[in-house]
Amino acid sequence: MKDIGHIEIQRVCLGYKSGLDTKTVIQDLSLTLDAGSFTSFIGASGCGKSTLLNAIGGHYKPLSGSIILDGVEITTPGADLGIVFQQHTLFPWKTVKENVRFGPMRRGAGRAAADKLADEYIDLVGLSGYESYYPKMLSGGMQHRAEIARALANKPAVLLMDEPFGALDAQMRASLQDSLSSIWENTHVTIVFVTHDVNEAIRLSQRVVIISRRSGSISAIIETNRDHDEPIEQYMQSRRTQELKKRCLEMLPA
Amino acid sequence: MIASDRKQDRKTRERDKYAKKKSSLANKYGLDYMIRFLFIGRRSVRAFIIPLLSIVLGLLVWQWLTQTHADVILDFSNIPSPLHVYKSFLNVVVTKAYWKDIYWSLYRIALAFTIGSIVGVSIGVALGYSTVLRLIVAPYIEIMRPIPAIAWVPMAILLWPTTEQSIVFITFLGAVFPIVLNTWDGVKRVPVELVKAARSLGANRISVLFHVVVPYAIPNITVGMALGMGAAWFALLAGEMISGRYGIGYFTWESYQLIQYGNIIVGMLTIGILSSITSGAIYLLKRKIVPWSE
Ligand SMILES: Nc1ncnc2c1ncn2[C@@H]1O[C@H](COP(=O)(O)OP(=O)(O)OP(=O)(O)O)[C@@H](O)[C@H]1O
Ligand SMILES: [Mg+2]
Repeated sequence: MKDIGHIEIQRVCLGYKSGLDTKTVIQDLSLTLDAGSFTSFIGASGCGKSTLLNAIGGHYKPLSGSIILDGVEITTPGADLGIVFQQHTLFPWKTVKENVRFGPMRRGAGRAAADKLADEYIDLVGLSGYESYYPKMLSGGMQHRAEIARALANKPAVLLMDEPFGALDAQMRASLQDSLSSIWENTHVTIVFVTHDVNEAIRLSQRVVIISRRSGSISAIIETNRDHDEPIEQYMQSRRTQELKKRCLEMLPA
Repeated sequence: MIASDRKQDRKTRERDKYAKKKSSLANKYGLDYMIRFLFIGRRSVRAFIIPLLSIVLGLLVWQWLTQTHADVILDFSNIPSPLHVYKSFLNVVVTKAYWKDIYWSLYRIALAFTIGSIVGVSIGVALGYSTVLRLIVAPYIEIMRPIPAIAWVPMAILLWPTTEQSIVFITFLGAVFPIVLNTWDGVKRVPVELVKAARSLGANRISVLFHVVVPYAIPNITVGMALGMGAAWFALLAGEMISGRYGIGYFTWESYQLIQYGNIIVGMLTIGILSSITSGAIYLLKRKIVPWSE
């Protein structure tokens, strides 16, 4: 097993400064994300999930505490920390393909290799045939899929995803959930996945971390302990899974 | 269907009634056909014919004003008639000097505008990208921006060894400010999310500059270039009229001094044509380099 992509979140406080005031959003949160683990964050809107994800991605400096990737404190964003943002962030002046190959080309891959990677991941998210479209010409859901392809094609050690499937229809979401599961099983990238959907969290991840808006910290961590030999639908229907779901939902409003 | 047919019917009937009332008068002068053609005819024909007639009418009025030496507020007694201008044009267009003047003006515009674009975009990007540079350079820009390029003429002549260089310098000044300000404005608007996304994909600050900041500002840059082109012509003509030896501005001013009044208008029209061609080129350039914003 590979051992890059281990994240240690140590007593971080996160917040926003406006003038002299500081609004603290995340309060004294500690969590270990093992290399190759799949963790979901779930919590009420505005509890600070995106803020936390951005901080892991190196985009916000914690007010206190530190976030450590493989023994080194995260101070800047970088290609190791791939992120699918909640907002649309495709480059409007680049086509789908140019967007997806942007990361590999920055890392020094040749044009041909980058194109091949781009084609592969564009196909994976079901956007074949749209390579030469500009983002403006795509629907919101298609843009999100292109963004997922762009993050994946960069093969980061850690993949941070902020409600990546929120804007998709049920069928597309199920198909991308399956793709993400198999990518994770094959590459063992460390995944941190933010969602509002308890089903989705339980279906995909090993651990569901519930963040409370009141305390700005973790209110519960629920291990799913899924046996990966069990077919997914059977697993989702099982009594144990139903129990987990109930526990998650009970914790949520807090 | 039926309702609209009926409406159509009523319309036609009303029109017929109107036409009948008019026809007795119009037929007498054989105008009936023309009126119908102009006001009921096909839109595309109308869109072409009416502007043409308007110009012809204008030329006729101009011819009449000059022939009668009209002098009411505006003095037409020394103004060449359209026919005179046309003859002047035929005389001038075969001379080498006319084309040489055009060549010199275009050359100065091309040189000054190219330098102005490179300098303007660089300064604009630097201003938007680096706080320290902004604090150092912005005050100078704020001081110089409101000074029209023409006001630089005496300074330019003192500063540069040759008049040629001072004319190019003045033209450059005309072009550069709109380009700086619009580039700066575009760079300021770059959404922070796009920069974050690029950084998370492994782009360093230089990559972010060339792959995010500059492309994002390109629509603004082209707006600055279009404005800069207009300002460059303005400045060039001032420079040429005051201190030039060649150029279409010099041609126009010289025509006045040599009392070749027909050539003044030939010069003016030439300037108009050249300036719209160069502006059109920028518009085409924009369409070509920013297909994603259409
Ligand atoms: N740039 C910012 N400046 C100031 N405050 C901010 C900023 N971004 C977020 N906040 C505040 O931080 C808090 C947490 O926001 P965040 O986006 O992390 O929530 P979230 O859990 O991702 O919510 P959602 O589920 O709706 O996406 C909110 O109260 C929000 O108002
Ligand atoms: Mg969020």
